[in-house]
Amino acid sequence: MRYRETGELHKDFHGALNTTVDYVVKTYGREALREIFRRVGRDVYRSIHAGLQAGDPAELVEHLRYFYTREQADFTLTVGPDAIVLDVFECPAVAHLRRLGITPSPCFCDQTVEVNAGLCEDTPWTTTTERLGPGRCRQCFTRGKDRQP
Amino acid sequence: MIPSDHFVRFYNEVFKFLDGRPGDALGDYYREISRHQERHVLQLFREKGLQGMYEYWEHIRIEENCGMTLDLRADCLVLTMHACPSLAKVTDNDAGPCRKYCDHCPGWVIPLLEKTGFTCEYNLVDRALPQCQLTIFPAAAGRPSRVFLQPLPPNEEKPTP
Repeated sequence: MRYRETGELHKDFHGALNTTVDYVVKTYGREALREIFRRVGRDVYRSIHAGLQAGDPAELVEHLRYFYTREQADFTLTVGPDAIVLDVFECPAVAHLRRLGITPSPCFCDQTVEVNAGLCEDTPWTTTTERLGPGRCRQCFTRGKDRQP
Repeated sequence: MIPSDHFVRFYNEVFKFLDGRPGDALGDYYREISRHQERHVLQLFREKGLQGMYEYWEHIRIEENCGMTLDLRADCLVLTMHACPSLAKVTDNDAGPCRKYCDHCPGWVIPLLEKTGFTCEYNLVDRALPQCQLTIFPAAAGRPSRVFLQPLPPNEEKPTP
């Protein structure tokens, strides 16, 4: 896995991210925010993206498992040959905002939707995120049968 | 969710986006982050001054895994960062660093310090090295905040694409 941080966690960064989401949307519009998040998916996570392009989701699976565990999320990860499903029952980012007394931006979950979209861009994989309630979602990555390499 | 471990790599992409926008787009954003940080530190800094700042940055030193020493003296607080985890992550990054990455620290810190009656000297040393030094003083006439900043090399004068 390309990035594997250890040591202490500074969860207050979720608050700074929430402020940034509101600021970018207010100042530059939501499409600008989406493009920044897609760049994160495509460029920061270049090795995950390259793996998906080559049809290999192993690093994506490892990344999801490692960081949702590290953030002490309540989640399950189901991995099949053509589908990966991440069920998040309590998002640690949303939970931390609540602890700080911050109301999540209406666009806060764009980070998940659009980073995942960036990861899958120009790959044989597609992604969907279903928001199931506050701090709850189902993220699916599906290999497109007609686009396998 | 972008893991909190990876926030700074996201931050770096925001800086790249803002770095070619008209006006003082980066400065405006730093001031927004500074206002956000007030939630965490404004009261502490106002009530406890340099001691409160020491307590805040000691918490940050631990939680952000900083290689940093803090020296609280009677008339100032000196923070010496010899291993900045933020710049280290941004340079260890497949997307590459924003040429102005280090500027964000004085960008949010100085407005907050000045709001609480303090000034500082911020020496960023070298934009490519995860090292800097911040010295904070009670505000005094004739001693405005100053930032010592390495000029950008000529080949980096244009924003990161």
